[in-house]
Amino acid sequence: MSNLDDREVAKAAQALRVGNAQTVRVYDVPVVVDLAKCITGCRICIDSCPVDCLAVNPETKKAHMRHDECWYCLACEIDCPKDAITVKIPFLVR
Amino acid sequence: MSEDADVIIVGGGSAGATAAIRAQERLPRGRVVLLEKAHVKRSGAIAIGMDGLNNAIIPGHATPEQYVKEITTANDGIVNQRAVLAYAVASYAMIEQLDRWGVKFQKTESGDFDVKKVHHQGRYVLPMPEGYDLKKILTRLIKRAGVQVHNRFAATRVLLDRGRVAGVIGVDVRTGEVSVIRAKAVILCCGASGRLGLPASGYLYGTYENPSNAGDGYSMAYHAGAELTGIECFQINPLIKDYNGPACAYVTGPLGGHTVNARGDRFIQSDYWSGQMMLEFYRELHSSNGPVYLKLTHLAPETLEEIERVLHKTERPSRGRFHLGRGHSYGSDRVEMHISEIGLCSGHSASGVWVSERGETTVPGLYAAGDMACVPHNYLLGALTYGQICADSALAYVPQVGDAAVDRDQVELERARILAPLSRPNGIPHHQYEYKVRRLVNDYLQPPKSENRMTQGLAYFTRLRDELEEVGATNPHELMRVAECAFIRDCAEMAARASLFRTESRWGLYHHRLDYPEKNDAEWFVHVNLKKGPDGEMLLSKRPVEEYVVPMTREELSGYQGLRVRAPENGALEATTP
Repeated sequence: MSNLDDREVAKAAQALRVGNAQTVRVYDVPVVVDLAKCITGCRICIDSCPVDCLAVNPETKKAHMRHDECWYCLACEIDCPKDAITVKIPFLVR
Repeated sequence: MSEDADVIIVGGGSAGATAAIRAQERLPRGRVVLLEKAHVKRSGAIAIGMDGLNNAIIPGHATPEQYVKEITTANDGIVNQRAVLAYAVASYAMIEQLDRWGVKFQKTESGDFDVKKVHHQGRYVLPMPEGYDLKKILTRLIKRAGVQVHNRFAATRVLLDRGRVAGVIGVDVRTGEVSVIRAKAVILCCGASGRLGLPASGYLYGTYENPSNAGDGYSMAYHAGAELTGIECFQINPLIKDYNGPACAYVTGPLGGHTVNARGDRFIQSDYWSGQMMLEFYRELHSSNGPVYLKLTHLAPETLEEIERVLHKTERPSRGRFHLGRGHSYGSDRVEMHISEIGLCSGHSASGVWVSERGETTVPGLYAAGDMACVPHNYLLGALTYGQICADSALAYVPQVGDAAVDRDQVELERARILAPLSRPNGIPHHQYEYKVRRLVNDYLQPPKSENRMTQGLAYFTRLRDELEEVGATNPHELMRVAECAFIRDCAEMAARASLFRTESRWGLYHHRLDYPEKNDAEWFVHVNLKKGPDGEMLLSKRPVEEYVVPMTREELSGYQGLRVRAPENGALEATTP
């Protein structure tokens, strides 16, 4: 076996053992919140979401879509008392 | 947290709502606890609403016996008729109850229920034009009854005391707190296994079913030792291409809409969802006549407005903006259709937890209702009706048995299992794990099925059990998702094993095997049941079909076998038998 092969054998074994590396990725998300209309302290849309993908954004104190896990069912949009939410069809679907 | 209850209901969708309301009304001073992973106001399969009842048996239009025959035929004879009959007999009272609760049904000028024909044989479809009110009405009744509701609580296991129910354990998906609720009776109403196959769009949550219905109930019932049945009878539905809503022959059919191929020709006689219909749909889609479309272009503008009013407001209100985004309208464009990802759901097909006509599973104190309980083609009204039946059965059972003790070891093991992903913040993210399981489900389990492919798939699902130990979480939300990953993997393994066991083809596309293309009644006119064996592995068995309470002739049993439309040489349309 050549040196290159030996190295590959060692690296292949190491690839099985080594810990995970992670990165952060940006997603285009379907739920768009109008910050001017959204009421600070209101949690109606967050309660409505069947998949719990909405949350209060700690920076703006307003609702936002924290997880890209939308059923585009419109529960948040329909239940919002200020018409602050617009749900888009997710890009992969539209 | 730890608390006691007289009865626990897991899941606050349609079945869970009526179970909780009924139980609390009958136990005014009792403690009825409803655990809901989402929030009861927008939970379950019909989070937004539903535009009609698909299986209303209304005196003057249909009888319970006719309905039992229709479903026996639609499910190729493999039904527990007693369970279907119990629904058929009790469901009209449920419609009257809903009417009193303020649910608006479509009525004729004379005030009768306006029932439509969609099924192959009888008339059972009752439109509910303001069906978006249903969730609001049920939520109000749950509150008014005084039910203890825990929203955002994900139940993960049924706790047992020597084989009978002792309670439920789960986790708050906002705080990560693990809790035990003790009770002698638990009613599982957790919905379908709707996050099993991967939608063709590739969007993980673009599923036909509400994605919060991840098969939790199937997995919890399995780990509690209950038998499941008909798992190989998958749910596959005809949907709008890319969009997760039904094109909706149920709504459009009675108004003149129908399914056509690319040549504009009709090819199925009945748009009622059955495996036989789906097989014809699949064949057409994969022939040179595909794609398949819903045709509405021939309808009058006011009819199209009526269709939009129902289809764009109730079950899938984002449908209108989907069509708009594509630049399509019903008047000028046909609606392209496709077949959905696979799922497990007795509401539409027959895959579920085995239940008696009283909603009992095979575990004492454990009941199941709705999409996860095997009463074939049970739909929304079946969930509402069986929720009540289960509440009555559970309340009759509780006083008859002594206290059940929670097993400390089981609690500590489960607490450790739920929280383990938090010890791996750099573990595999849940969405990557989930994508892999569900992609493999598509690769190896999507019909048509074969032994070689499914055996290969099973090897991957077994390996994925080990890989689950690598999945990490950094917050309670992700803990819920990892718990769901385990449910999804369990359901994938069940789907593979049950499908491998039944070496014949049945239910059209739902269990179409390339290596056993024929139906074999001599060996397989039986239920296939699955449960956890003594070694902790899945154990399969045949369960005989009980003698019918509504006798069927041979002709009646084969009534769904000729759904394809054919234009023979004399020009007349007639049905073919394969």
